[in-house]
Amino acid sequence: MKKTLTVRDIVIAGVLGAVAILLGVTRLGYIPVPTAAGNATIMHIPAIIGGIMQGPIVGLIVGAIFGISSFLNATVPLFKDPMVAILPRLFIGVVAWLVYVGIRRKSEYLAVGAAAFIGTLTNTVLVLTMAVVRNYMTAGVAWTVGLTNGIPEAIVGTIVTLAVVLAWKQLGKSQKSKISKDL
Amino acid sequence: MSNEFEISRNITIGQYVPTGSFIHRLDPRIKLLSFVVLVLAIALNTSYLGNAVGLVLSLFLFWASKIPISYGLSGVKPAIPFIIILALLQLLFQGQLFSGGTVYVDYGFILITSESIRLVIVSAVRFIEIIFLSSVLTLSTSTTEMTHSIQSLLSPLKKIHFPVHEISLITTISIRFVPTFAIEMEKMMKAQASRGADFGTGGWWRIIQRTKEMFPIIIPLFNIALSRAEDLILAMESRCYTPGGDRTSYSVYKAAGKDYLILVVGLLFAVLLLFYPFPF
Repeated sequence: MKKTLTVRDIVIAGVLGAVAILLGVTRLGYIPVPTAAGNATIMHIPAIIGGIMQGPIVGLIVGAIFGISSFLNATVPLFKDPMVAILPRLFIGVVAWLVYVGIRRKSEYLAVGAAAFIGTLTNTVLVLTMAVVRNYMTAGVAWTVGLTNGIPEAIVGTIVTLAVVLAWKQLGKSQKSKISKDL
Repeated sequence: MSNEFEISRNITIGQYVPTGSFIHRLDPRIKLLSFVVLVLAIALNTSYLGNAVGLVLSLFLFWASKIPISYGLSGVKPAIPFIIILALLQLLFQGQLFSGGTVYVDYGFILITSESIRLVIVSAVRFIEIIFLSSVLTLSTSTTEMTHSIQSLLSPLKKIHFPVHEISLITTISIRFVPTFAIEMEKMMKAQASRGADFGTGGWWRIIQRTKEMFPIIIPLFNIALSRAEDLILAMESRCYTPGGDRTSYSVYKAAGKDYLILVVGLLFAVLLLFYPFPF
């Protein structure tokens, strides 16, 4: 593991954090699903992309930014609880990175897709577990929400992440700063 | 229709109400620290009286900071339907988990006890308290003050090589870029709409259609974000920005006696909420 964050790590984490905040405040990050939790979300995608692109620390930081912004913007009591809003979100990017690194050698496409899918499920499962632990839901309600929200979330998350990461890898060849490598 | 495209106008991030009150002039580090301690204490308190104390405290803070209470209420207003739905669900389906106390209704799977009623009322009140507290904090502290104070509070962690300065720089970049991306997103929505895409016209039950409508916005948004990031990386590297280097700050905070006094009061409230055995 690297000892310090590079300029690239800092900037990518900041920019993806901005996207996560923006998706939250414009409500664009919510997919309306008629369940108890109200909405499925795609706001965790920046955390996954951060994890895939720049490693676990950036994933963790973007997850923390997403968690704090969802805590501050929450309109549901469930997410006004820091234990539900912030803590589970720290793991999204880290898990996505682990999955990505594990599968990368076999196939880049498969690795990105699997990382997005499992990263999303991490969010769903951990948030719902905390919701049950902190007595906002019963286990039965949590299962229903998990199935009705989690699966569409995972599918949308996979599509968006694949599109973004693969486009970025193409773009990266021509546009990336070349100074980074020398520093 | 037109207001669907006005994203940048509706973003209230970094909203700041300058009233110059006592609370505004406090050391932002002390404010942030007291806020964290109080929110944790409120989140863990489950008694009626304890939450009443918290509610009175948060209303008092609004008065002390001279911020109109309407700012706090505007945060609560959109949440009311959610609070009611959640309260009903908790009331009807969670009796089995909290079967302690007096049983009021026991009909099939519906079991309402004094404990489950307590859960419903306490979680609604707790929510309002936290909204009030966080509005006082963000309305009385500018974003610059906030990031500086985070950096200063975390600075002891430098000893264990925790990247404090980097984290606060990341926060600053995030907050700085939100309005920029909002403007970019407006442009994109207009561009897509002029080509015949529609947003938000399908009914809410057509989930797949609503989701598909988002792709032409979300994916370019990420790409714009990442290419802006490349520009910023190049700009910072060409100015020889070195992560982990020592640097000094333009503004230095000095906590005075009154700041420590406030911190002690905040801690006392937190201890009271956490450990005092409230009678009900």
